[in-house]
Amino acid sequence: MQNAGELAGRIAPVAELLNTYEIGAMAQRKVDAATWALLAPADRKAFDRITFRPRLMVNTTGLNLTLELFGEKHFAPIIVGPVSRQKRFHAEGELEMAKGAAAAKAAMVIAADSSFPLDQIISLAKAGAWFQVSTEGEMAKATQAISAGCKAICITGTGWRALAAFAKTVQVPVIAKGIMTPADAEAAIGAGAKGLIVSSYNTTSKLDPIEVLPTIVDAVKGRVPVLVDGGFRRGSDILKGLALGARAILVARAPACGLAAYGAPGVQRALEILQTDLGRDMAMCGKVDLTAIGRDTVKIHRF
Amino acid sequence: MPGFELTRRKSLHALAGFLAGSPLLQSQLDPVRDHSRIPGLKELLTSYEFEAVMYAKQTRPVYNYRAYGEESEFTLRRNRQAFDWVKLVTSQTSTGNVTTSTEVFGTKMAFPIMVSPTALHGDLDRDGEQSTHKGAEAASNTPMILSNNSSLAFDKVAAAAKSPMWVQLYPKLAMEANQSYLEAAQAAGAKAVVVTIDQQASVYERSLHDRNLNAGGGRGGRFGGPAPVVAGTNPYRVSGNRLWYEWKFFSEIRPFVKVPIIAKGILTPEDAKLCLENGVDGIYVSNHGGRSLDYGPSTLEVLPEIVEAVGGKVPVLFDSGLRRGSDILKALALGANAVCLGRVPLWGLGSFGAAGVTRVLEIMQAELVEAMKQSGCTSLESINRKIVLANFP
Repeated sequence: MQNAGELAGRIAPVAELLNTYEIGAMAQRKVDAATWALLAPADRKAFDRITFRPRLMVNTTGLNLTLELFGEKHFAPIIVGPVSRQKRFHAEGELEMAKGAAAAKAAMVIAADSSFPLDQIISLAKAGAWFQVSTEGEMAKATQAISAGCKAICITGTGWRALAAFAKTVQVPVIAKGIMTPADAEAAIGAGAKGLIVSSYNTTSKLDPIEVLPTIVDAVKGRVPVLVDGGFRRGSDILKGLALGARAILVARAPACGLAAYGAPGVQRALEILQTDLGRDMAMCGKVDLTAIGRDTVKIHRF
Repeated sequence: MPGFELTRRKSLHALAGFLAGSPLLQSQLDPVRDHSRIPGLKELLTSYEFEAVMYAKQTRPVYNYRAYGEESEFTLRRNRQAFDWVKLVTSQTSTGNVTTSTEVFGTKMAFPIMVSPTALHGDLDRDGEQSTHKGAEAASNTPMILSNNSSLAFDKVAAAAKSPMWVQLYPKLAMEANQSYLEAAQAAGAKAVVVTIDQQASVYERSLHDRNLNAGGGRGGRFGGPAPVVAGTNPYRVSGNRLWYEWKFFSEIRPFVKVPIIAKGILTPEDAKLCLENGVDGIYVSNHGGRSLDYGPSTLEVLPEIVEAVGGKVPVLFDSGLRRGSDILKALALGANAVCLGRVPLWGLGSFGAAGVTRVLEIMQAELVEAMKQSGCTSLESINRKIVLANFP
């Protein structure tokens, strides 16, 4: 994405960037093609089939995006999702990611295969840290992460036995990531999950997470919080996820693009853009806080 | 020397012949170069063509300010797409004379077409809204709604021509500011007040990149600078200037408004009903030409449910995305009493001043008549849902 008259490969000052796609364009100029393939945005078809039903003349002066999740207060329902080996994107990898997330008051999920020592990352993730594992063999790491301050364990694609093992052993909530069907949701809750993340990462699903989210939320019936990730790139995308029942949204590629292009300031910019645009869209839909958002905030279209 | 006389004409003729044969001149005549020129007023046949002329004649930021939509411009695009989801059913019945006159809030119109409120016509034409008003008057007295952000005051614009004028208002927190503005407009002849209640926190990414100083924006701290000082600050950097809006605003302005009050920006049947409960005299279905909430609906797709909710109790106006007479007919068929045009007359103004406004409105009027004929409609009363097939997503 090159603007007319711009020098090839120019990296714009971070404050000039107005959406996460523009941050992505800067990241593309910084990294090689193979790395860019990991960061390139997904298609938007699922989000393009959802429109808002804006309600007017609702006073939103006291705009409030905060929420409580697993006993912790969050500034906004936007959390940095797990991204492995972040040295691929920036020399200071997870350290810069954690600094940027903290500057934007966003919690961060730390991947088990991080490029830096856990305690170093956790000490920088001042707005909260969760830890992501994918095998039962990472139990010791998880215990270490919890003693260093992680408030939850995210478990990805290991089957319900491993989930049950973590749920029995660790003292923090275990969240099952990669749920794409109501049956998965039941099994995960049965195995002791205290939260679910609807996510198609490492699954064979042909649907996007935002498309299956409502059916999973309906099946869970409020027993545990449901979160979602997968292609959320605009504040409006986040509002759609919340309207369809997610308590919070995980974003990974957007802050990772910020990291690749600018380090911590890019991470902060990406997250702050999403927070501000979510706030603006809430105001224009007449929603002063997250509890006011519901299914009737959106309309899902056939095409 | 007999037989030869060197005159000025002859010498110039010889020089021209020499130049015409010169390889140097031949090399200048590049057959693939851009032969662009700006067409004249009479060459333009559709509203779209005026946009291209305006683009050619105005500076880029002035053009862009009129062109862009909110954020990713999904809704800006959807406004146009929506007209493709509605098909006109052609009639075999031949029609003779078509009548198009109507009356909305006592304002008589030769066609159910008005000029939407749009900001700062002074950017496009030396005489600003006075030219728009003159141009609208010349197009069968088309009524005009003057923007709250006009380049000229209401009385100055009203004095320029005789077609009916309404006034638009962005709610102001200080009630005296609403009062003085609306009283002045009514004294100068405003026949109705249009209160715009959307666009509470919009941003225009294209405009921000243009560093267009005309464009406000709900995203505080442009380019990462300090957030502006606004009413009701929040920690999310959202400008609070318009977050205070409430329904009671309509009853608060009622004491000093003697003419009908219309709420502009309605996109749900729930809000249409709340308008009626709050004493609003008319509903104006609009998404601000795609400039309010990105990923909001197109106006055409929500028009039927709003018309149903209103149940004929008050008139329903409609704008956003109309470019053809057939678009107007579709909106009328889905229940609008009249439509308003925002960008279309601006393209006329920005390309040929008042004459451009007149011409582009005349084109829309003629296209509407043609579309009515094709659909077998002889009057506005004969336009109904049966002349369209709607397949909204």
